[in-house]
Amino acid sequence: MEPVLVAQALNALYGIASLAILALGLAVVLGLLGVLNLAHGELVMIGAYCAYVVQAQGWPYLYAVPLALVVCGVLGYVVERWLVRPLYQRPFDTLVVTWGLSLLLRKCAEAMFGLGYKSLTEPIGGTVEVLGATYPRYRLMLIVVSVLVLGALVLWYGRSRTGTRIKAMAGNPELARALGIPVRRYASATFVVGTCLAGLAGVMIAPLAPVQPFMGLDHILMSFFVLVVGGLGSVGGLLTGSAVIGGSNSIVSALSDGTGGYFCVLLLAIVFLWLRPRGIHARS
Amino acid sequence: MRAASAAVLALLLLPFAVGDFWAYQLGLLYLYAIAALGIGLCWGRTGFLPLGQGTFFGLAAYLSGLALIELDGSAWLIVLLPLAACASGLLAFLIGVLVFRRRGESGPYFSMITLALSLLAYQVANNWESVTGGFNGLKGIPGLPGLDSYTAAYEVAAVALAVSAFGIAWLYRAPLGVLWAALAHNERRVVLFGFDGNRLKAVAFGVSGLLAGIGGALYAPQQGLVTPQLCGFGLSADLVIWAAVGGRFRLLGPVLGAVLIGALTSGLRDRFQFWEIGIAIVFIAVVLLFPQGLIGIFAPLERRLGRRPAPAAGIAAPARRDPGGAAKLLVEGVHVRVGEVTILDGLSLALERPGIYCVIGPNGAGKTSTFNMLSGELAAQAGRVSFDGRPLARLATHRIVRLGIGRKFQIPSVFPALSIADNVAIALWSARATRLDLLRPRLRRWTSPVFEALVARYPFLADAGRTAAELSHGERQILELSMALLGEPRLLLLDEPCAGLSPQETAQVIAVIRWASERRGATVVVIEHDMSLVRELADHVFVLHNGSLLAEGTVSEIQGNVAVKAIYVGAEK
Repeated sequence: MEPVLVAQALNALYGIASLAILALGLAVVLGLLGVLNLAHGELVMIGAYCAYVVQAQGWPYLYAVPLALVVCGVLGYVVERWLVRPLYQRPFDTLVVTWGLSLLLRKCAEAMFGLGYKSLTEPIGGTVEVLGATYPRYRLMLIVVSVLVLGALVLWYGRSRTGTRIKAMAGNPELARALGIPVRRYASATFVVGTCLAGLAGVMIAPLAPVQPFMGLDHILMSFFVLVVGGLGSVGGLLTGSAVIGGSNSIVSALSDGTGGYFCVLLLAIVFLWLRPRGIHARS
Repeated sequence: MRAASAAVLALLLLPFAVGDFWAYQLGLLYLYAIAALGIGLCWGRTGFLPLGQGTFFGLAAYLSGLALIELDGSAWLIVLLPLAACASGLLAFLIGVLVFRRRGESGPYFSMITLALSLLAYQVANNWESVTGGFNGLKGIPGLPGLDSYTAAYEVAAVALAVSAFGIAWLYRAPLGVLWAALAHNERRVVLFGFDGNRLKAVAFGVSGLLAGIGGALYAPQQGLVTPQLCGFGLSADLVIWAAVGGRFRLLGPVLGAVLIGALTSGLRDRFQFWEIGIAIVFIAVVLLFPQGLIGIFAPLERRLGRRPAPAAGIAAPARRDPGGAAKLLVEGVHVRVGEVTILDGLSLALERPGIYCVIGPNGAGKTSTFNMLSGELAAQAGRVSFDGRPLARLATHRIVRLGIGRKFQIPSVFPALSIADNVAIALWSARATRLDLLRPRLRRWTSPVFEALVARYPFLADAGRTAAELSHGERQILELSMALLGEPRLLLLDEPCAGLSPQETAQVIAVIRWASERRGATVVVIEHDMSLVRELADHVFVLHNGSLLAEGTVSEIQGNVAVKAIYVGAEK
């Protein structure tokens, strides 16, 4: 195969994988708990700042993973316990509260790190040769890790007892509680998993994107549009949504400019809202 | 009215008391307050939250700034500045039409799309350098001709704020405002009274865009500088915070929030490093714990001072705008499938004469689904439905209702937060009020012969002081039945109208249904499980089973029908 084509294919794959991993946490929380966590982007931002701190301290980059998981996990637990739990019956208010939380986290990041951009160096430098094309090693690894994380989550959710119980909780919380499933604890755990995935995504993309307090806004919108297009409840939907949103954004951006790409994505989301309000791979 | 005049006078005299610095600060905050009014309208009143209102503020500010730069001192500005505000309103309305086109998408989707819009607007303003001046913005915008001083700029903003607030107060008193409040509680019910819920929401968003536009159009001459930040996320977020903290459910709550929090912020932001973090925490606390906001503190005072308006004389409502006469409904071979489940399987029915028709059948037979299909909420994949010879397929629910089909749900779904009078009024406006009528507060005094006849039976319907939430279950059933009757539909669909009623209340409801059928010539279709009621009511009975018609006939014919017995008691065939 032509090396140029291979490089393009890898780029596309990278775009889809990174968008999917960014949207994954949002999809988990929205799909299973019905909560649209508008602070999702800010949790990605916190994950990225964890990576920045680790690199600034001169520690090995992998230390950022446990750090981000702990910070985002604790934050997720606290947020679920005191902000989201009282509002499970009022989905619209959860949106407003998590939106307020996103402001708060942004202002906190601003107070701690300032408004400026932080750029990180890629922890794994250099390139590898794939079918004749040279490709950055870190991006390739990011694709592999995204696939592994997605695969592991799907396998665990589909096969484990806990996965089945969570399905029961998502389907009918009242009945699940009557059956003795600790719904509160599972809801809390699900939320924490969602925030941890956001943190992990933040660590992964930190070296490739400028890290700054406002970075979350773009990520939450793109992730949300991925879910609008792809629908909730399946990995296929997540990947299709990522491909459609990421693909149209980068193609139109290349043809015109970033604003055009953004406009195109927004338009696409509105069109999907009309034609396929439950996404391409809607769960029946 | 006297209190309002005094408040406006005080507003206009304020700069002479506080001096130039605060006159300047307040003038700016008043413009933000006008935009915050729009957040209150959308979020507090109508129940959807725009997160990108800066888009409309910024658009009008750029348009107004460009007009002022190009035509400094020209008389055309008197026309162009209002047009700049209207452009924002129009854009918001169009976006509302687009996004609300599908039902039920007013929650998170709407908020996210408006958020995305504000980021898009920021990018456009930032990148389109030849027109917007790019990152540094439009500079050196001249002030309004002759109104250059701080005090004059303040007075312009104060007048704009007062006019906007009075305008919104007018809308809230008009039917439009009542319908907005009703939409926030039960959109489906509003649509089933024949109102285009999506269009009403788009109008609400359009008005909020206009308000933001008024703020923006005056911002340009007042500040002399318009930057992309105005369009972006920051101002949009501030507006939502101010509306929430001030109190989004009241007209003046957002104004209070904008002026108070805005003034505190400009005074304290630089003194306390964590001021903005504190504001974010206050916002979360307000949403979680004090949804009434700051203005809620004054609620008890207001209750004490407030007098109930003396009941005004009723105005006769005009006749319904449909042809009248007996309803003719024809359902032929209708199939409805949702996902894998077949709900209606070749259903055929004909209703040609007025009278009371009962629909019976075991659970899951498709009775309520038949009603949903008739009112256009459940799409049929095959078959034909016609009303008065007119096909109903692909007709929107509110249009079907306007043809003369009324409905009552099994579980009473009145508007709990509205007064009984407003509940009744919404039903009276159904298929009677024109678009322009919706702007006339006097429509709240409408009455009709049917209403007077119903009040004679149920005096509580004329109680203007109570909200529907204060009614008992039985009274709510009767309120909803009355609301269904007030629209004077020619085909009335009643889903278990007597569920949960005492024998006495049941007798009353039966009497009303008979009255509607006999005196008003309406065709009434009743879903009912209780065979004693069916015996008492029905002129004709349809038996549904597995989504199709199993049998029809008089009560005694049905009682003798072998197939019907088989599905009810499992008798041998």
